[in-house]
This record gives sequence, C-alpha cells and structure tokens, in this order.
Amino acid sequence: MTDMTTIPAMATITEVHPLSGDTSFFRLGLKEGEAQGFTFTPGQFVQLSVPAAGEFPISLAGSPGHGRELELCVRKAGHVTAVLHNLRPGDPVAVRGPFGTGFPVERMRGNDVILLAGGLGIAPLRSLFHYFLEHREEYGAITLMYGAREPSAILFRDELAELACRRDIRLMLTVDFLTEEPAGGPVCRVGLLPGLLMGIKLRLDQTYAAVCGPPALYRCLITELLGLDFPENRIFLSLERRMKCGIGLCCHCAVGDFFCCTDGPVFSYDRIKEIPGVI
Amino acid sequence: MQKNFLSNESFPLFLQGLAASGDLHGPVLTDDGVMAFRPICSPADIQLDCIRTLIPPKKYFFPPKEAILTYSPVKGYQLTKAAGKKVILFGLHPCDLAGIAYLDRVFLESQPDPLFVKRRKAVTLIGLSCEPDEYCFCGTMGTAEPQNFDIFMHRTEAGFYLSAGSSRGKKIIRRLSVLLEAREPPSPVPCECKIEETILQAATRGETFSESRLWEDFAGRCLSCGACSLCCPTCYCFDVQERGRLDGETAERLREWDNCLFKSHGEVAGGHNFRKTREERFRYRFQHKYLGFGPMRGIVSCVGCGRCRDVCPVKIDLMELFREKANIL
Ligand SMILES: Cc1cc2nc3c(=O)[nH]c(=O)nc-3n(C[C@H](O)[C@H](O)[C@H](O)COP(=O)(O)OP(=O)(O)OC[C@H]3O[C@@H](n4cnc5c(N)ncnc54)[C@H](O)[C@@H]3O)c2cc1C
Ligand code: SF4
Ligand code: SF4
Ligand code: FES
Repeated sequence: MTDMTTIPAMATITEVHPLSGDTSFFRLGLKEGEAQGFTFTPGQFVQLSVPAAGEFPISLAGSPGHGRELELCVRKAGHVTAVLHNLRPGDPVAVRGPFGTGFPVERMRGNDVILLAGGLGIAPLRSLFHYFLEHREEYGAITLMYGAREPSAILFRDELAELACRRDIRLMLTVDFLTEEPAGGPVCRVGLLPGLLMGIKLRLDQTYAAVCGPPALYRCLITELLGLDFPENRIFLSLERRMKCGIGLCCHCAVGDFFCCTDGPVFSYDRIKEIPGVI
Repeated sequence: MQKNFLSNESFPLFLQGLAASGDLHGPVLTDDGVMAFRPICSPADIQLDCIRTLIPPKKYFFPPKEAILTYSPVKGYQLTKAAGKKVILFGLHPCDLAGIAYLDRVFLESQPDPLFVKRRKAVTLIGLSCEPDEYCFCGTMGTAEPQNFDIFMHRTEAGFYLSAGSSRGKKIIRRLSVLLEAREPPSPVPCECKIEETILQAATRGETFSESRLWEDFAGRCLSCGACSLCCPTCYCFDVQERGRLDGETAERLREWDNCLFKSHGEVAGGHNFRKTREERFRYRFQHKYLGFGPMRGIVSCVGCGRCRDVCPVKIDLMELFREKANIL
C-alpha cells in the first residue's frame, strides 16, 4: 500500500451520472494493491486529483463499507471540478486521504439521530445515513431532513424516493420554491429547512444532530435547534474552508485555533461557538 | 581545554575548510543592494555585519516555488526528488536558527515532509552572533539564546568562539582544529527582555486583543503587498497548483509560498470568503504568529527577527498590540 497522505493513489472512474443541473455522482475504484483496506468515518473527506487540472477536497458520500469503491457527489464549481465533469468512465483520477475527523458514530450509538442537510450538504450526510442504515439495529430513531432550492435541485432523488417507503426511518424533504414538480420524485414540502423542525418531537437527552449545508443555513438551523433546547454538545456541524493540503500544513483552513482539515471538518457546536465568523 | 577560538586571521582559511564539506553559502550584498543568502565565491564577499537578509533562510528547505509531484499516465503521481546538494549555510543569527527550529517542528515532526527532510538534511547550519538594531526584538521573544545549530560562532573583536551543537558540527570543528586555539570564552551578556513576559502570558491565555482599535488601524493602512510573510522566517503557508505539460499527457504539481493577507487565502468556490475583510485577515495572521493552529497551538512562532517591521512599506507592527496592552508604547 502506498502512502496516500502525500502521494495520490490512482483510481478509475467507474460510473458517472448527473444528479442535478450542475452536480454529478461519481463512483471511483481505487487501484488494487494501492489502497488495501481503505476505510473511513462518515464526514471525512478525500483530496481528489484530476490529472493536469489539480486537486480539491471532497466529502466521501458513500458508505464506508465499500472498500476500494468510493462514491462522490461533485458540483461543478470552478476550474478543477469543471474538468472532472468532462471525464467519463474509464478515465483516471487519484485520491489522497481519507482526511479529517468525521461524525462520532460510536458516541451516537444507541441514540436517536437527526440529519439536517441543505443543498450539497447531503454529500457527507448521505454517507452517515447509509452507515446508520447498515447498522440499523444499533441506533434509535433515524430522521433525515433535507432541503434544496427547488425540486430539480434535490440530489439523489430516486434513492430518496425508494428510502421514503421504509417504515424504520423518517425522511422529510423540503424545497424553497416549488417550480415544476418532476415526475416520480419523492414527496416534498415547500419552505425552508429549519421549518421542518417545528412541531417535531425529540428526545433531547438521547438525540444527536448532524448538520451540513451552506453557512447561512447553519445560522438559522442552530438558532432553531437551540430554541428547542437541543444540547450544544450534541449538535455536529461539518464546516467548509479553503483547503490545499488536507493535513494541517498549508494553513488555509484554520477556524479559531483549529485546523478544519484535521481537527474537523466535523465539530460539535459547543467547541466552535465562540469563534467569530465560524458559521 | 578544547580548541574553540578562531582568530580573524585564520577566518578565511576556516571558510575554505568549511567549503570542503559542501557549497558554502552566506550573507552577501547583491548587485541590487539587498542582503541575501547566496553562494560565497570569495571570503571577502561575506557580510559579517549583515543585520538581516531580506529573504530568510527558509528558502533553502522550502523554496518559494517547487514541484512536489509529477504525473504521467503510466506511473501516476510520484514524488519529485529534491536535489539534496550539500550546503554549508554560514551566518545564521539566533533568530534565524530559531526560525528553522520552528519549521523543523512543522515539517519534520508529526508527518515528515519528504522534500523538506531531504533538503534539511543536506544543510549544515553555522550560526553567528549579532548586534541587534532598532527592528530586532529576539530578546523579547526568548530567541536570543542560540539553538538548533551545527556550529555557533560567537564573534568578538579578535575572532570567534566556536561551539558545536551536533555531531556533524563536532566533526567539522575537529577536522579544522589546526586553525583553532583554546581560550576561555567571554561570559554571555544576558539579554534585556522587556515584554517577553507580556507576550508569553498573552499567548498562554489565547489573547486575541479582540477589543483593540489597532486592527482597524492596521487594516486601513495595509497594502496587501505580502512582503511581511514573504520575509518571515516562520511563515510557511503555501498554495498548490497543477500544470499540464506541453505533451498534453504529463503534469507537474507545484507548491508556492502564499500569504494570509491576500484576499484569495480564505476564499472558496462560489466566491464565499471566510476572511473577506483585511481586518479579519490581520487577525488570522496574528493568530497564527502568536497563538498557533492545530498541533502548533500555544507555540509563539514570531522569533523577533524584525524583518516584517523593517520591510512593511507602511510600518505595520503586530507587536504594538502587546505594547498597547502593557502600556509601553
Ligand atoms: C471538507 C470539504 C468537503 C467538501 N465536499 C464537497 C462535496 O461533497 N461536493 C462538492 O461538490 N464540493 C465539496 N466541497 C467543495 C469543493 O472542495 C470545492 O467546490 C472545490 O474545491 C472547487 O474546486 P474548483 O477547482 O472547481 O474551484 P476553484 O474555485 O477554481 O478553486 C481552485 C482551488 O481553490 C480551492 N477551493 C476552492 N473552493 C474551495 C472550497 N469550497 N473548499 C475548499 N477549497 C476550495 C481548492 O484547492 C481548489 O482546487 C468540499 C469542501 C470541503 C472543504
Ligand atoms: S513576524 Fe516579523 S519579526 Fe516575527 S519572525 Fe516573522 S518577520 Fe520576524
Ligand atoms: S508588509 Fe505591511 S503593507 Fe505589506 S502586507 Fe504586510 S502589513 Fe500589509
Ligand atoms: S488544508 Fe492545509 S492546513 Fe488544512
């Protein structure tokens, strides 16, 4: 096995399909031998290299149980992601990682969990959600609340429609605006994500929240959760920062005196709440 | 008693002797009039009275721009090989040695950086005592006491008192001992450390001076030119770029010195910037220099070399924050 911290390990794209106008799903297969026993915790990320274009941090969006097979959900956001979006199955990419501190799945065991995803924030939470489903009996009530701008921006629509039929989880979707409803999509409400929390019954001392989304969403979601008396040390957020190295070296990603890439990206709210501009 | 004294007369021969262990580099005055660590062609070029070079010695271990990886479709990504040419770096003042010690902690400790390791091993550090000017404050930072050297040369009127700090240094001194004589070294003059206590206390309690009006003042004057971190011996943040080569198949990944006072430093895709204002960027610089991030939390990284105060075109000085607090403006 090569050192995947400094040298990107080669991988092949095995599947690509669009999830929305600007976001696609990528499945990668790490080369055999290079990445024996690759595993991770939901919430961790990798640095994905697109040869001759560059490298960027990306959440692992699949279940950790798939070994050398990685699932990513990538929005075309700039130079490198645009080049990636032009690649096809069979094309080479490379991976460093996994990096960072993910969600505390061990600590969450035996508790209820509520996952709150806004937009692209579904990527790391999908990994966590699949992890919970694969270990269903070890966790209490599982709720996924997911908000997108409009129906066509809901990522993983088909998968969610299927999951919506399961009786052992609760899935709640909402969109900011109702444009045309795409046929066959899962049922969703209209309104902002924090609105879904209203009227929800939570066992506060036995529930963990996992939150991921754009900064503006954090501010109103946290207000809402704290309004429900949700304990600060049971709210886990995944933060985004500019990242170049992923290993606490390039100094771009600091939040307060933490490195987002190593101490995070997942932090409990009580650890970061005093840091100005953190969300 | 050990032979430890090098007379001024023997100094040129000593330099020649050093050059037998590697390429000799030291402070010289360049054609464009700046002090710089450069290869020494003749002993007369060495600027023994150099107070500080513009660019600190970090460039020997961590060049301004270097290829870190290469890519080819057949071999994938591979580490580049650092040259690792042996260099004897002469004329390092205690602050610069302290700066190198800090970088050693960053790049050699928890996850050794292969390129840094290679380059660092190839360089022999020869320290030299100095006279501070009005910009220096190594005494304040507790870095006046030399550390992390292979050989340290304490300069006096008649010559230099040598001490070895490593087995490599000992070996060189032994090899050149014919040039040395045994003398009792002068007792060290203790440094005056006016506000070291203030700084260390502030660092220990994680002081961010959040209420100070100085931030606004700094932000209003700063030109975002980046000189202050370019010339800082302990600033090491870097950007990474990948460039395809002309053959259309292979590529090179470069890392390049970056600067936290540049606007792009905290910007992410989509245009959101976590340090939009210059004031936020200044606080970030302060936090890194005096409080530290991640595993370097609690370690003050300013070594008091005075370069940033000297080069800043608008004379911004983060030390004012401490002086304001301690009422010694
Ligand atoms: C921990 C983490 C997880 C992420 N997970 C996902 C995900 O699952 N899906 C997804 O689509 N996006 C994710 N992102 C954002 C993604 O990294 C950026 O969209 C991407 O870097 C844009 O690169 P670019 O070259 O296309 O854009 P450009 O704007 O051209 O960026 C150039 C370089 O700047 C840096 N950079 C720019 N934006 C960001 C950013 N937002 N975060 C960090 N570095 C940045 C990168 O080093 C990038 O290579 C994540 C970011 C972080 C920090
Ligand atoms: S912050 Fe300024 S004085 Fe301190 S080490 Fe860096 S350049 Fe020297
Ligand atoms: S040298 Fe002075 S003006 Fe230039 S970036 Fe630093 S503080 Fe600003
Ligand atoms: S990404 Fe480089 S320090 Fe965090």
